[in-house]
Amino acid sequence: MPDVQSPPRVRPLDELDLGAITRIDERISGIYRPEVWEKRVTYYLRRDPETSQVVEVDGKVVGFMLGEVREGEFGLEAPSGWIERFGIDPDHRGRDLGKLMFDAMRQRFVAQGATAVRTLVDSSTPGVAGFLRALGFASSPLEALEMKL
Amino acid sequence: MVKVENVTLEKKYHDAVEHWVLHNFKDYPSLLKNWNTYFPTDEQFCLCAKMELGTPDVIQIGEHKGEKKRENPDEMTPEEAHHLLAIIRAQASTEFGSIQQHNGTLERAFDDQDRYWVLRVMAEELRHGYQMLHLLLSKDWSHVSGGVTGPQMVEEILSMQTGNHVLDAFNLDYDSFIDNITFAALIDRVGKYQLTMQKVCAYKPMADSMPQMLREEAFHLAAGVVPLRRWAQKAAHGDPFVTMQAIQRAINKWFPRGLEMFGDERGGDTNVKFGFKDMKNREAQDMYIEEVRRMIRDINTRFLRARFPEYDATKAEAVLDELEATRGVHRGVKFEDLLRLPDRRFFRRKGEPAFQMVGLDGETFADAEEYLRYLAKHLNEGYVASRDVLNYAAALRKVAAGELSAAEAAKSMPKLKRVGGTCPCSKGVRWVMEDAAGAQTAAPARAG
Repeated sequence: MPDVQSPPRVRPLDELDLGAITRIDERISGIYRPEVWEKRVTYYLRRDPETSQVVEVDGKVVGFMLGEVREGEFGLEAPSGWIERFGIDPDHRGRDLGKLMFDAMRQRFVAQGATAVRTLVDSSTPGVAGFLRALGFASSPLEALEMKL
Repeated sequence: MVKVENVTLEKKYHDAVEHWVLHNFKDYPSLLKNWNTYFPTDEQFCLCAKMELGTPDVIQIGEHKGEKKRENPDEMTPEEAHHLLAIIRAQASTEFGSIQQHNGTLERAFDDQDRYWVLRVMAEELRHGYQMLHLLLSKDWSHVSGGVTGPQMVEEILSMQTGNHVLDAFNLDYDSFIDNITFAALIDRVGKYQLTMQKVCAYKPMADSMPQMLREEAFHLAAGVVPLRRWAQKAAHGDPFVTMQAIQRAINKWFPRGLEMFGDERGGDTNVKFGFKDMKNREAQDMYIEEVRRMIRDINTRFLRARFPEYDATKAEAVLDELEATRGVHRGVKFEDLLRLPDRRFFRRKGEPAFQMVGLDGETFADAEEYLRYLAKHLNEGYVASRDVLNYAAALRKVAAGELSAAEAAKSMPKLKRVGGTCPCSKGVRWVMEDAAGAQTAAPARAG
């Protein structure tokens, strides 16, 4: 049977995507945490509502990618795009939806003068690192260090 | 690179806006002082006009499509310029008007975060009003303003109070903090549509004003929807002070006024023809309705998941579908316990369904008194006791009795007018009710 899905549509995030984002995260993590996403989504909407993206398939949001441009942190004076969180509904993986969202965010980063894109990856999620390396990310001279308090 | 140019009004007008703030937005200094507490690392607030650079130079829609965008009012025909001037004036009125509305119930916010989110919304609406004043003052509109100068237009706008703003939605006092939030979710959403449609405006300064206003509006919508979601969770847990019924009554109050902000369903051709907007009224209104439907479904899902934490998303949505289809009961939750989208003809006094007696679910009424009793049950008590509802009831009775047509009644709703001074500082001032024919009657004194 041929795939009759319409082409995916990438668009900026809005406040009505909260339910879908919470649902995607729940499918991935097994945790229902709407308050977490209400906080994060509102953060990005008030700071840069055009950069974070969602992807729709047949009118349903199946992926999200949150980020923004920052400068002046950790000695990085030049603007950098930051990818903070992303997720794709497990039923919709393998269709380059993450790449589509990343490409849209990359354009926004460039438009805002960013000269690099950065992120932090949890080493316990090799799939995430693999996806990012396939996009073109490489190890950075900056190293994440941590100390428990 | 996305670039925005900040523009400050000439000192006397900037000072006039700051003076207006003293009377109408007393917590503005508190917002600025606590900005970094509630919005850490966010760009500091700037009371200035922000003009987007690098926007298209060519008109994208209407009978002048392909021509260079207009930079001055006299590059438009008098009819076009007059029409656009009315849009800018109305837009300015809504921005200052909404601050006055929010101000009345701000202190009743449930918590500090909600309060500071609304304060930020108010500050950004102030900036949007400032933006419109810049459009009125930076160019000469006198050839289409009937002799009214830019400074006079600014004075008129800054003297408006709740009751005599241009659009009805901005003449309704808030009855509780639920109105602050529901207004942000529903009325700012209409604002988003208007700003989006106006991005193509053939008058370039107006088009250049839209992108930054839209970015700020995105937070305003979240400042409405996110608290509504949290309140739905509280309601699901049985909070005695936060109920879905109270939220529904607020939706019933604001949704009809929001629909009317799009203009008559049959209109909007002129805006598209002149290249000022890229959609006609009904098309934009239809999209808005679907978006509000989606918002209500999202809040209802939040409610059900809070009430039944053992349900996953799929199960909660299936229950919602079941309740909507059957209007029955699921484990103690009735369909009436959830939010629903009012019929687009409900409680309307302008546009195609003006003064039709239609209930929330589209049921029709033949008797005005029966309809008014129905409305009293589905609106909050504070609003039912207001002058606005009283005036609506008087007009409805006349339409029902055949004394007025719906169109005549739509024009006859009286507005408050301030006479004897433009600044709240003025001592010699009184309020009058002015009807469409210009006749005035004294109104009870209002607090400045």
